[in-house]
Amino acid sequence: MVPQLSWYLALSAVLFTIGVVGVMIKRNVIAMFMCIELMLNSVNLTFIAFSSYFRDVSGQLFVFIVMTVAAAEAAVGLGIIIAIFRNRESLDVDDASTLKL
Amino acid sequence: MTAFLFILFAGMAIGCAVAMVVQRNPLYSAIALIGVFLALACLYVMLAAPFIAAVQVIVYAGAIMVLVVFVIMLLNVEAEERQPLRLRALIPIAVTLAAIFFAETAFIIYFVQASPVSLRNVSDVGLTSSIGGGLFTTYLLPFEITSILLLMAIVGAMTLARTGGLLSPRAAVVPGDQVFSREMLNRRNVADLTPVITHSTDEAKELLGVRDEGEAE
Repeated sequence: MVPQLSWYLALSAVLFTIGVVGVMIKRNVIAMFMCIELMLNSVNLTFIAFSSYFRDVSGQLFVFIVMTVAAAEAAVGLGIIIAIFRNRESLDVDDASTLKL
Repeated sequence: MTAFLFILFAGMAIGCAVAMVVQRNPLYSAIALIGVFLALACLYVMLAAPFIAAVQVIVYAGAIMVLVVFVIMLLNVEAEERQPLRLRALIPIAVTLAAIFFAETAFIIYFVQASPVSLRNVSDVGLTSSIGGGLFTTYLLPFEITSILLLMAIVGAMTLARTGGLLSPRAAVVPGDQVFSREMLNRRNVADLTPVITHSTDEAKELLGVRDEGEAE
């Protein structure tokens, strides 16, 4: 039995949901960031599945751009995390929930 | 055969994703996330996208996760402590919603008839040449914007990582014409922004009061 398009879409939905649950549950900022990366990857899988099943290269090109954006976001986001850690000495999101230092 | 491979890689992806969310130590979460990326790369190969699979391993697993692991080790992040379970009334609601979600997923898998395109004919959509052709013709603008985005990310990361202000006591002054506002030289002056031009490193050092580490006070 050949894997259908719907299988890949269902897998992507499951991974995205796991990512969302992780973002809501986690208290560590770096763990939340990793769950966001998981969500980005699930969307990448959707793009490539559609690109493959409809023989259109646009999906894979968009995934290329998404990966570049994710790399840039990782660099800046981790820089922000380090800056937060320098000021607060804690990576707990609950401590950083107000904008007060 | 491909169905077995799909179930294998999908199971690995879901298993590693759940492990990442459940783990309290962020380093173990990072390793589990690398497992997710590798499983997704295998799925991309199954979907006849070899270039994207290679880029996924190189960029995501090889660069982004290495950066994350560096930061975790740099900041010496410790494992989260076990939290007491609050809002116990929400657990049955969560289980119900999860069951509805999985029912929807099963519905999608078994009843939605996609256009009957099978992957038995190997397509050349995913080859590097096709992606390169598209990237440099139709999608040239996103490509250029992406390069500017990377430049912005580099500048942003360097700005965020700077320690201290403009006048760090161990500042190494760059030789050449230096222009300072007078306010910088004497902080007791109130808002005097007349620029002071110095023409050599020594002059600038003298005016700023910067001492090298080796000099005696």
